[in-house]
Amino acid sequence: MSLVNFTTREITCKIVYYGPGRSGKTTNLQYVYSQVPADRKGRMVSLATQTDRTLFFDFLPLDLGTISGFATKFQLYTVPGQVYYNATRKLVLNGADGVVFVADSQVRQLDENIESLQNLQANILEHGVDARTLPMVLQFNKQDLPSELILSAEELDEALNFRNLQTFPADALHGVGVFETLKGVAAEVLRRLSQGGSGARRM
Amino acid sequence: MSTTVVEAWAEQPLLRYVAESSARLVIVMTSAGQVLAQHGFARAVDLMAASALGAAIMAASAALAQQIGERSFGALFHAGERHGIHLASCATPRGPLIVLTVFGKETSIGLVGLFYEEFAVALRRAAPAEQLRGPVLAEDFEADLNRSLTSLFQR
Repeated sequence: MSLVNFTTREITCKIVYYGPGRSGKTTNLQYVYSQVPADRKGRMVSLATQTDRTLFFDFLPLDLGTISGFATKFQLYTVPGQVYYNATRKLVLNGADGVVFVADSQVRQLDENIESLQNLQANILEHGVDARTLPMVLQFNKQDLPSELILSAEELDEALNFRNLQTFPADALHGVGVFETLKGVAAEVLRRLSQGGSGARRM
Repeated sequence: MSTTVVEAWAEQPLLRYVAESSARLVIVMTSAGQVLAQHGFARAVDLMAASALGAAIMAASAALAQQIGERSFGALFHAGERHGIHLASCATPRGPLIVLTVFGKETSIGLVGLFYEEFAVALRRAAPAEQLRGPVLAEDFEADLNRSLTSLFQR
């Protein structure tokens, strides 16, 4: 749940990048980290295995600057995508104000995308949150791969986007769509604050 | 050393805890790693990384406790060459809170643990129940958001 300090006029929000293993969640954060000036970001913390797979989470604090008179900070997290790390995925989701679901556009990864999306819904529910009210966007990553290997953004939208969420085609490795995705989820989260909510509704 | 608080009720208990325990750094945070009050950190972004890691350690420990049939493990303590850390959670009307304390040679784990117990009681007494809040941002925040993100990505 976002923290609002009315005395110092500060807002802090937690955004979680979710999705199947190797879909590009960490790559999104690495690209953001590489583009943002030093005085607007903190150290990127990665709790990873020896082979650089996310073990617990990656974490990147960002200073967005002043929005509507509030100094606004975002905390970006990723979850481990591999199926058997569900316990840690659930922990990272706790208190999320918004979610970016990073789907892998490859045809052979469609089942993994669907499974991960279902897992996200189940884990949100376990935190007692109504998933329909949690600000969320979809990113279709790896759209740069040869067309015979991937599903188009329209096909992925048909297969994954049951909630009619905002979607963003991306090539996170080269930064395409990363900025737009972050902007999309930031707007969803802040819109909730402007409407008087503090994140998703608890059930 | 600076002390900053997001929620004013936490300030007096924190100042007293810091003075009594001689802690170097203290963070009071929610179970999701959001900082409610802190002492000793110079940069907000360093503070956020420390709180994210502290909350993660506590969350992982609590999940592990559940797996083996324990309700919780209570406080955690790690000793380094120059610093030690003490991590503990306490239930309050504001919800479960986590306190991360970093201390040096000028104090001891025994003293930190002793004063933490008093601190936890003080937090429980001072914390208000979580309240619903009205709209925070103006409806026309999007122009500010666009400008902030554009400057963030230097586009």
